[in-house]
Amino acid sequence: MNLAAAGAHPGFLSPTGVEIVFVLVGLATLGAALVTVTTKQLVHAALWLVAALGGVAVEYLLLTAEFIAWVQVLIYVGSVVVLLLFGLMLTKAPIGPSPDADSGNRWIALGVAVVSAATLVTLVVDAFRTTWIDLSTSPKGSTRVTGEALFRGWVLPFEALSVLLLAALVGAIVLSRRGAPETDEAEPETKQEGQR
Amino acid sequence: MAGPSPDHRPSRKPSGRPSFPGSGLAKGLAVTLRTMTRRSVTAHYPDVQPELPPRSRGVIGLFEENCTVCMLCARECPDWCIYIDSHKETMPAATPGGRERSRNVLDRFAIDFALCMYCGICIDVCPFDALFWSPEFEYAETDIRDLTHERDKLREWMWTVPEPPPLDPAAEEPKELGAARKAADKLAAQQAEPEQQQAAAPDGQDRSGPEGRSQPEGPSGPGGASGQDGASGPDKREQGGDS
Amino acid sequence: MDVVDVLWRLLAVLLAFLLLPLIVGQAEHKAMAHMQGRVGPMYAGGFHGWAQLVADGVKFAQKEDIVPGGADRRVFQLAPAIALLPYLIVLIAIPVGDGDQVGQVVDAGVFFVLAVMGVGVLGSLMGGWASANKFSLLGGLRTAAQLLAYELPMLLAAASVAMAAGTLSLPGILDAWQWWWLPWQIIGGLVFFTAGLAELQRPPFDAPVADSEIIFGAYTEYTGLRFALFLLAEYAGIVVLSALTAVLFLGGWHGPAAGELGWVWTLLKTAALAFVVIWLRVSYPRLREDQIQRVAWTVLVPLALLQIALTGVVKVVIQ
Repeated sequence: MNLAAAGAHPGFLSPTGVEIVFVLVGLATLGAALVTVTTKQLVHAALWLVAALGGVAVEYLLLTAEFIAWVQVLIYVGSVVVLLLFGLMLTKAPIGPSPDADSGNRWIALGVAVVSAATLVTLVVDAFRTTWIDLSTSPKGSTRVTGEALFRGWVLPFEALSVLLLAALVGAIVLSRRGAPETDEAEPETKQEGQR
Repeated sequence: MAGPSPDHRPSRKPSGRPSFPGSGLAKGLAVTLRTMTRRSVTAHYPDVQPELPPRSRGVIGLFEENCTVCMLCARECPDWCIYIDSHKETMPAATPGGRERSRNVLDRFAIDFALCMYCGICIDVCPFDALFWSPEFEYAETDIRDLTHERDKLREWMWTVPEPPPLDPAAEEPKELGAARKAADKLAAQQAEPEQQQAAAPDGQDRSGPEGRSQPEGPSGPGGASGQDGASGPDKREQGGDS
Repeated sequence: MDVVDVLWRLLAVLLAFLLLPLIVGQAEHKAMAHMQGRVGPMYAGGFHGWAQLVADGVKFAQKEDIVPGGADRRVFQLAPAIALLPYLIVLIAIPVGDGDQVGQVVDAGVFFVLAVMGVGVLGSLMGGWASANKFSLLGGLRTAAQLLAYELPMLLAAASVAMAAGTLSLPGILDAWQWWWLPWQIIGGLVFFTAGLAELQRPPFDAPVADSEIIFGAYTEYTGLRFALFLLAEYAGIVVLSALTAVLFLGGWHGPAAGELGWVWTLLKTAALAFVVIWLRVSYPRLREDQIQRVAWTVLVPLALLQIALTGVVKVVIQ
C-alpha cells in the first residue's frame, strides 16, 4: 500500500509530511472498507463505502494523480453510490440491522478478498520494487499526461472497453424492455449480451 | 423541456396557427417579467390606511336620538348580539286637557361585536334610521368582553359615519326627494291658501290624503337621510296619524 | 504561495460562501414577490426588509433541534453538513478574475467542480433515508433518480467546453475563451444550466421536494439549524451553478475593461444567471416525475451529444 514511502533512495526512516498523511489516509480507508463489509446495516455499509472510495481519491490526490482522483469522486461517489442508495431505498432498507442480508458466505468472501488483495499487492510490489518516483518534478498524473497516455499509447484497449460498455448498455436496454411486444425468442440472445 | 410528452401535446395546444416550439415557455417568462415591472397591488395597511368605500361594513354606529326602542333590531339579529334595556316614561299632555303620552326611554343599547357577523340586518330593519354602518374597523381588543360596545361607544362611532355616496348619474330619483317635494308643494299651497281663500279649491283637501299615505315611506328609505331628516320622521308620522 | 496568502484566499471564499447565498435568497424573496404583484418582506432591517434572511437565521437558531424517534440518529444529523460543504469546496476553484484571482487553480477543474457538486446530493439521500418517514424516502428516491438522469448531460455539456478550450482547468478555459464561443456553445450552455437546475432540485424540476405530494421530500423531518443548512445549501448551489455557467459558457471575466473590472463581470454574469433561476421558478409549474426523466433522456442528452459533435467538427475545421 504505502508505495511512495517504501522507496529506498532518500530513505523512509525520515518520512515527509505527505508520506505520513498518505499512510494515515490509507489506514482510514482500510478501516472504512472493513466496516463496509462487516456492518449489519445496509445503508451504513453504502455510506462507509463512500468514505472508503473518498479515501482512495485522497490517496490519488496525494500521488498528484489529480484527474484520476476527481474521476473517482465523480463516478464512484457521485454516481455508483447514488445508484446503490437508490436501489437500497427501492428495497426499503430498514433503519437498524438487517440480519437477513447476511448471505452466509462470510468465509468464502474473506478468502476471495485475501487472495485478490495478495495478488494485487504482489503485482504492484513486483512491478515497482524500489523505484523512486519524485512526485514534485514529474507530474505523471496530470490531465494532459493521462490524456496523452490514454489516447496515444493505450487507444486500442480504450476503444475496446468502450465497445464492451456499449454492448452492456444495449443489453441493459433490451433486458429492461422485456414487457414490450417482443416474443420469448429474443430473450436468450439479450441475456447473453447482458452477461458479456 | 421542448416536448416532454408527445401524447399530451395535441390536446393542450389550442387550434390555430402552429406556434414556434418553446413560444409557450417564452410567453410564461414574459408574463412574470411584465408583472415585475408593474406596481405591486399589496396594501401597506398599518403604514398606509386603506381607502374603504363609504358603505364598508366596519362597525355599527347608533344614533340614539332616533331610537324608539322598537326592538326590531334585537329581534331580527341572527346571533342575538344586540342588548337593549328600556323603561317607559309618561309625558304630560302637550295641550291642556289632552291625553298623556307614554314613551320608551333607552337605558342600555349594546352590540357584542364578538358575536356580530356583520350581516347588517339590524341596520336594514331599523325603521327610524338609528343604526348606521361606519367603515371604521380598528377596534380589536385584548379582552373579548371589551368587544361589547355600549351605548356611548356606539354613539361615538356615529361621528365616523361618512356621507352617503352620490347616486349614479342615471339612477332613479330617491324617494325622499319625492316626499320632500310633495311636502314643499303642500306648504306652498298652504301659504297660498289665505290669499285665495274665497276660491276655496278642493285640491288642497285632496292633496292631504295622498300625502298622509306617502309619509311612512320617507324614513324607511335607503339610509341616505341625515340625522335631522330622520328625526323629523317619527314626529311627522305621529302627527299624521293623529290628525 | 505563503500561509498568509492562503489564509486570505480561504477567508475570501468563506465570505463569498456566507454572503452570496443570502443575497440570492433575498433577491428571490423580492423578485418573486414583485413577479406575483406583491412586495415581499418589508420590515426586517428597515429598508425593504433587507435583513429578512438574517431574521430567519435567528429564528432557525432558536428552534429546537428534533431528531425523530425512529430515525437513524447519526446519519440524520450528518446529512445537512454533507449537503452544504461541497458547495463551499467548489467555490475555491471558481475563478472570479484574470490571472490569480481564484481560490486555488485546480488542474482538472471542471471535473473537480462537477464531482464535488455531485457529492452534495448524498446529503439529501442520507436525510431522506435516515428520517424514517415515507415522504422523506420518496423524496430521496426522486433525488437519486434525478441526479442519475441529469449528471450525464451536465458532464457532456461541460466536456464540450473543455474540448473547445483544450484544457480542463477553469482559468485555462477562460484564457482560451473567445467571444464567438458564445453562439458556438449556446446549446451546451442551455443543457448545462437546465441540468444544473435539475440537480439543485429547483423549480420546474423540484419534484423531489414537491410540497403538494410529499411535503418537503427529504427535508420533511428537519427543523431548526439543520433545516436552515439544507436551505443554505440550495442557495449556495444556485450561486455555484450560476458562477459555473458564467465561467464555462459566458466568458467569466471577459468583457469591456476586463483587466481591472474582470471580477465585476464575473459577478454580474453570475447575478444575471441567478436571477434567471429565480425567474424560472416563478414562471413555470413543476414537472411531473416521468416528465423530468423524459426531458433528461430524450431532450438534454441528445442535445448535449449534438453539441459535442458540433464542437468537435468546428475544432477540427479551424485547426
